[in-house]
Amino acid sequence: MTKVMTSRFGEIEYTTEDVLTVRDGLLGFEGFNKFLLIEHKPDSPFRWMQSLQRNELAFLVVDPFKFFSDYDIELPDQAAEDLGLTPTTGQVVYTIVTIPRGKPDEMTVNLAGPIVINADTREARQFVVENPAFSVKQRLVIESPVESVA
Amino acid sequence: MLVLTRKLGQSIVINDEIEIVVLEVRGEQVRLGIKAPRNVPVHRKEIFEQIHEENVAASEVDPGDVPG
Repeated sequence: MTKVMTSRFGEIEYTTEDVLTVRDGLLGFEGFNKFLLIEHKPDSPFRWMQSLQRNELAFLVVDPFKFFSDYDIELPDQAAEDLGLTPTTGQVVYTIVTIPRGKPDEMTVNLAGPIVINADTREARQFVVENPAFSVKQRLVIESPVESVA
Repeated sequence: MLVLTRKLGQSIVINDEIEIVVLEVRGEQVRLGIKAPRNVPVHRKEIFEQIHEENVAASEVDPGDVPG
């Protein structure tokens, strides 16, 4: 077990198998590529991607398919190949959530920049989705778990 | 920056594998066709800037504001 101190969650213990490697980092945070996925609370749809390299850097994420039934991303063949994704690979997609400070009612989710994870290798990448239906600031309303973005 | 003048239907080729064609010019709008290998991502610059901005905004989220 290794320990890391974080600004939001205090000290966290993890093993190397827990570490997520984000290829090239996230846009705007290119230098930070090692993260831990942490539950927000038991049974919460939210998780946190906590940076192992900067203790105050963490992103709130959700599984977009739980909230947007028509969400669909087509990865370019090469991108899928880069991540080692095959039809039998475990694949997980998270989208990043933004909540303006003190305004949970204004919560949005970035459907244009999903993070795709190869669950077998724990390698991940943030992709760019060129689809006008999927906004960087899609409103996320928690009361109704499945709603259309159309 | 290299600057080239092109007419409608003309194109430029980059590195023998990427071709950008001027398809239509209407007022301030230019439609471009891009032929590139599948492994070359092509995106409008704005989308990168939007995702970058959104990532920065998302890095400030307070766990106390998360519903549930």
